[in-house]
Amino acid sequence: MSTQALPIWRKRLFGTPATGVVTILLALLFAWLAIPIIRWALIDATWVGTSRSDCAPGGACWVFIRARFGQFMYGLYPADQRWRADLCGLAFAFAGAGLFMAPARLRLKLALAALVVLPPLGIWLLAGGFGLRWIETREWGGLMLTLFISVYASLIAIPLGILFALGRQSQLRVIRLVSILFIEFWRGVPIIAVIFLASLLLPLILPSGIGIDRLARAVIGLGLVIAAYMAEAIRGGLQALPPGQREAATALGLGYWKATGLIVLPQALRISLPAMTNEIIALLKNTTLVLVVSILDLLGIAQASLADPNWVGMSMEAYVFSGGIYWLLCYAMSRFSRRLETAAGQRH
Amino acid sequence: MKPAKGPDTLAKALALLNDKRVRDVIYQVAVVVGLVGLTVYFVHNASQNMVKAGIASGFDFLWRTSGIDVPFVLTSYTQADNILGLFWAGVANTMLVTVIALVLSTLLGFLIGLARLSSHWLLSTVAGAYIEFVRNIPLLFFVLFWYFGVIASLPAPRDSLRVFGIAFLNNRGLTIPLPDAPGNFRWALIAILLAWLAQWLVARWARHRKEATGRDAPVLAIGLGLVVLVPVLAITWASLATRWDIPVLRGFNYRGGFVVIPEFVALLAALVTYTAGFIAEIVRGGIQAVPHGQIEAASALGLQRGQTMRFVTIPQALRVMIPPLTNQYLNVLKNSSFGAAIAYPDVVSLFMGSALNNTGQAIEIIAMALAVYLVIGLAVSAFMNWYNARIALVTR
Repeated sequence: MSTQALPIWRKRLFGTPATGVVTILLALLFAWLAIPIIRWALIDATWVGTSRSDCAPGGACWVFIRARFGQFMYGLYPADQRWRADLCGLAFAFAGAGLFMAPARLRLKLALAALVVLPPLGIWLLAGGFGLRWIETREWGGLMLTLFISVYASLIAIPLGILFALGRQSQLRVIRLVSILFIEFWRGVPIIAVIFLASLLLPLILPSGIGIDRLARAVIGLGLVIAAYMAEAIRGGLQALPPGQREAATALGLGYWKATGLIVLPQALRISLPAMTNEIIALLKNTTLVLVVSILDLLGIAQASLADPNWVGMSMEAYVFSGGIYWLLCYAMSRFSRRLETAAGQRH
Repeated sequence: MKPAKGPDTLAKALALLNDKRVRDVIYQVAVVVGLVGLTVYFVHNASQNMVKAGIASGFDFLWRTSGIDVPFVLTSYTQADNILGLFWAGVANTMLVTVIALVLSTLLGFLIGLARLSSHWLLSTVAGAYIEFVRNIPLLFFVLFWYFGVIASLPAPRDSLRVFGIAFLNNRGLTIPLPDAPGNFRWALIAILLAWLAQWLVARWARHRKEATGRDAPVLAIGLGLVVLVPVLAITWASLATRWDIPVLRGFNYRGGFVVIPEFVALLAALVTYTAGFIAEIVRGGIQAVPHGQIEAASALGLQRGQTMRFVTIPQALRVMIPPLTNQYLNVLKNSSFGAAIAYPDVVSLFMGSALNNTGQAIEIIAMALAVYLVIGLAVSAFMNWYNARIALVTR
């Protein structure tokens, strides 16, 4: 094995003079860039301790992350109530896993049941009322809030996206026009502007006296934008479906909604699932923008933690930790979507 | 009396409902009525709420004196100008960062994309790692990281990083020399435009001659001279003939020159490094989409590697690349608004932020800010669609 590996690597890295030069340049770049980073993050780093004074100079001080771990995860959510957030996360995770493993014929019914039960359950667990202590949304934060916004904005975006994708394909001119206008408008404006818009306009256009929670405004704004992107992802699936499928369904006597719900959508959604996953990744990355209306998600908490006088100069640690979590979440999802893509490719 | 008539018309009406055309009309009318009703409801609420808050609707506020100080202006805006002037200052700042980010991220993206396809194992692995790294992290993260992590940790003006002793990078931004009089540069710009026009004419003439006689003209050499050499010479001449205001350290900061504020540097760095990862994937996908047989056929015809790239691979890859590239360009335009998070004075932060706080004209201001993005976005996609149609495969 090793007798074979060496020549292969020599050929890979030093096969021709030009190859060799590139290899040496990259090695120099690595030595200049990566070695100091690795030394800072691992070798010279401080791992145990309780306060700023335990940190060794010149290295990362992971003690800071350990001390503020609770805030990175839950924001200002009261420590004795954090089990509620955990329980909510577990419920969603179990439901997701259950749906994934359930037999195909039960999946639709289970999904609908979960859709009816889970969202109100999650809000009840997190916000309180009916026996649980009420916790204002301004106390929510951290990774929990990032995931909350992502999940609830997708709950708005996916059904709306399906409707507008169908509307864009519709034979009815007015409905097609309305769908195109909706999609192109939201796709044409920056998400940050939409978050401002939602937080300023929603209270203005509702009857005075009806207050609307600022977190809810951000979720609605994000949900509307992602719905437009989602609609385009689903349109791809609808267009990839042979028109004969709908024609056959119509020939069997199914009306529009039955043909759509039983024949067209299940196949189209399966085709567009990778594209939809990409939109959900984009949504997760865009939740960070709620920072501009002072809602502190994971990145917001990391940013806010820099102002702590007890932990001066911890910006790199905070960024590396929060960035790492975003990276892991998005990378896992993009791997998942790539697997879906190959799985879908093999089926045909 | 005809008792049978009632149920008869009812049945007829019901039968009419089963007619697909009638039902389609009913659906569409219902959608329109619903939307109009919703709009009326919202507008009614908004006007009542605005009356209660004592805000007059309309665009008169645009002519009020703004009184807002903007740290980075390209227009002649000052605090004494009106709010419309503030709006244009924001638009100019948005355009500036967008255009520069577009150019730089396209260059970097092409480099990384080609590196990703390189036969050099290490090079393509490093490029792949870069792409996986930036694509899976939020852009806002990069903006904050560059601003609070990198630029804030740069040395103070006294110990600036010097670039040839004329430009200085420190935690208050990048100070660059500014020409005293722009006159020479105007002449240089005219020379460059003339050279580009000449290049276009030469290329046209060469193409016609090739179609007519089959003879090649040295288009590449002439083109390089006109497109690259003339601008380099013109700009060198203009810079040498102009007196420069070179920044000098006085007291705690540099005086003179032009200060590129740290917000601009951070936003540009974030936009370029982030977008390049996406453009690299588009470049890779585009080139890989060219069937391998095309390249084999080219080499069978005796084309060299460079020729194969220029005449066979790139033209076909562009067809695949243009639509997703358009999307990325529009994303750069929209993502330039991320500067609002670090108070880069763009449309969103100046207009939807400062001006809105001062005047309270939420609806008008939001409409104007969104219109900027929609109009520029439509212009960009119209241009890219025109270019796409020009290079599209013509099937006969």
